Amino acid sequence: MKRLAVALVAVIALGVALAGCTTGGSSSSGRPSILIWADTPRIPQATEYQKEMKGKVDVKIETIAQADAQTKIALANRAKKGWPDIIFGAPADTAQFKDPSNGYAADLTKLVSKKIFDGFGEGNSDCLYNGKYYCLKNDLANTVLWYNTKIFKELGLTVPTTMQEFVDTALKLKGTGYSAGAYGDQLYYAAFLQSSECPLADLTAENTVRIAPSDPKCTRVAKTIQPLLDSGVIDKRSPFDAGFIKDVAGQDKVAMTIGPSWWGDFVIRPAASWSVPAGEIAAANMPSWGTGSDNKSGAYGGGVFTVSSHSKFPQAAVDAAVWMTTSDWMATAATTPTFPAYGPANKLWEARISKDPYYANNVYTAMAAGANNISQVDRPVRFPFNAQFGTLSAAIQNGKSLSTALDDLTKSLQGLAPQSGYKVVTK
Amino acid sequence: MFAPYLILLALFGVWPIVQAGLVSLEPTVINPAGGAQNFADVVADVRFVPAALNVVVFLVMYVPAMLIVVSLMSLLLDTVQGRWNLPLRLAYIVPASMTGATAVLIWYFMLEPSLSPYQDALHALGITQGNQIWRQGGLAWIFVAMAFFVGAGNWIVVQYGSLQSISDDILEAARIDGANSWQIAWRIKLPLIRKYLVYMGILVFAAGLQVFVEPQLISGSVYTGIATDWSLNQLSYDLAFQSNNLADSAALSLMLLVVCIVAAIVVIFRSDFFEGTGVGSKK
Repeated sequence: MKRLAVALVAVIALGVALAGCTTGGSSSSGRPSILIWADTPRIPQATEYQKEMKGKVDVKIETIAQADAQTKIALANRAKKGWPDIIFGAPADTAQFKDPSNGYAADLTKLVSKKIFDGFGEGNSDCLYNGKYYCLKNDLANTVLWYNTKIFKELGLTVPTTMQEFVDTALKLKGTGYSAGAYGDQLYYAAFLQSSECPLADLTAENTVRIAPSDPKCTRVAKTIQPLLDSGVIDKRSPFDAGFIKDVAGQDKVAMTIGPSWWGDFVIRPAASWSVPAGEIAAANMPSWGTGSDNKSGAYGGGVFTVSSHSKFPQAAVDAAVWMTTSDWMATAATTPTFPAYGPANKLWEARISKDPYYANNVYTAMAAGANNISQVDRPVRFPFNAQFGTLSAAIQNGKSLSTALDDLTKSLQGLAPQSGYKVVTK
Repeated sequence: MFAPYLILLALFGVWPIVQAGLVSLEPTVINPAGGAQNFADVVADVRFVPAALNVVVFLVMYVPAMLIVVSLMSLLLDTVQGRWNLPLRLAYIVPASMTGATAVLIWYFMLEPSLSPYQDALHALGITQGNQIWRQGGLAWIFVAMAFFVGAGNWIVVQYGSLQSISDDILEAARIDGANSWQIAWRIKLPLIRKYLVYMGILVFAAGLQVFVEPQLISGSVYTGIATDWSLNQLSYDLAFQSNNLADSAALSLMLLVVCIVAAIVVIFRSDFFEGTGVGSKK
């Protein structure tokens, strides 16, 4: 009996002590407390912020997979608690979070200063819905033309500036054993369909999406690119395909490819990937489809920070999102992986990339030229847009023509959009 | 005496089903009124029929493969007594100790022509590119192979156990009556372990109907998007977490549950599953 009493007292004491721990941290000290959910590459930024805020804001960090952002917020919505104050995810996640049926995303238009929005320029357009901002863009992944100066010199090629020149240059590679890249995945969309401004997720009203494969800006893509596929100078496989890397890219046989700005450091250079030797790779402006403003780039990746509308400390949460996307520390850290969306920050980031001896020219110039020129025809939408590229690449890899492949893709998109409450326009 | 089991069943079996039933009637983005219309919406979803067909093809290959191979291997194992029996049982169980997720990676490496240890064999078959194997429309057999090798070993050892329960007297009587090993296996042993095979069939069918890990992992990591919403369980997951539509997701889960239960009932009452316990249609 005595032992039982002792045990009971011990349990109660422990309970009190634990309760003390949880309440003692933030609220009793009067400091705001915020929770950040981010994927692994963003953790160094978050950890630095945690350090800088010590004594002012208690910053807690949890690592999540980027692909889990919607899942985890859906669960928190269900539980009606446990939301992070800010979360890193894809622009399409925010499209879901800002919908009234979800309600997670806070409207940042008035909470973030105009100076910050001005600094972003076009860079934050993925977060803009009907004149209101619902997130802050972390990095831009606009497409540029990556080319191999050694191969270009060997074959006496000039760098293409228009899509027609790209095609003509690519056709000259026939029979040389060199390739103009592999496009059998999302890259076909980013490099060609999106840059051509083919309307596949064009929001003509808040809940109306235009998916119109018969638009001339769609049909010209198949017409222009099909000859490259037929002659074999571009590859049907994915640029990440083990066979393509072994047979082509890893043999330093890619003469040029359209690819996003992060490809230099993460696809072309790493030994475990294409492993192209130093001093060969340069970047040029994205080839333009037409004249004037018909010169957009596509985008492959690029994440955003969304702020919780449920935050107990909205200002602290907004400040964290602003710091994560705009700070000088983030822009200059060796761990910052990709092109910062915030203008002043990417100027600082330029200092590192422009002097990188790996590249044969200053690749920043081309990246910056395309960064504020990403096509805005397709917008982040609530239905799983990117997941449908499987249909597109399967069609291409199974040898269907590019126009049939586009039909397959648009059929899936047109079927999915109504499931998320969109009205579909096909003309 | 049954209380511990019943409590767990109520907490983790019945209550979640009741909850899913309630959730499945909630309003959704496309059906603000909620109610039974949600079930119709799921069936009308463009992803539903292709996923259902994939699962049917998967089941048609997976369930018979499991039943036939497992019966055969356990009968063979039963004939090997003595010192080789234990190492053999171990050999069957080793592949089964892999989880589905690990199996996905192992099969990826085995079937990727540029990485495979069986490169030469693949090349001899004319397969030099990954996309000749990993292509939409031809994925079911790969997923069957993955699920089969994860599941079969365990069941071989389990069915070997059920063969051990057959009385030696019966086998000896059969032998005295002149039956050879083949006849003993086919006419004596198999009928005697039929209930265990039926039981296995029900569980294998339920597992196959809910196939998820194999397509989800391949599609999420190795070949992005190649098997998006390939199976019904994936569709249920995506409805809940990509389309923000928990009600339709719950509705689809309940449909899967109903199919499982109906299939189990049919199999149980068309066999003599409960014979000897006083339950069931035949006496």
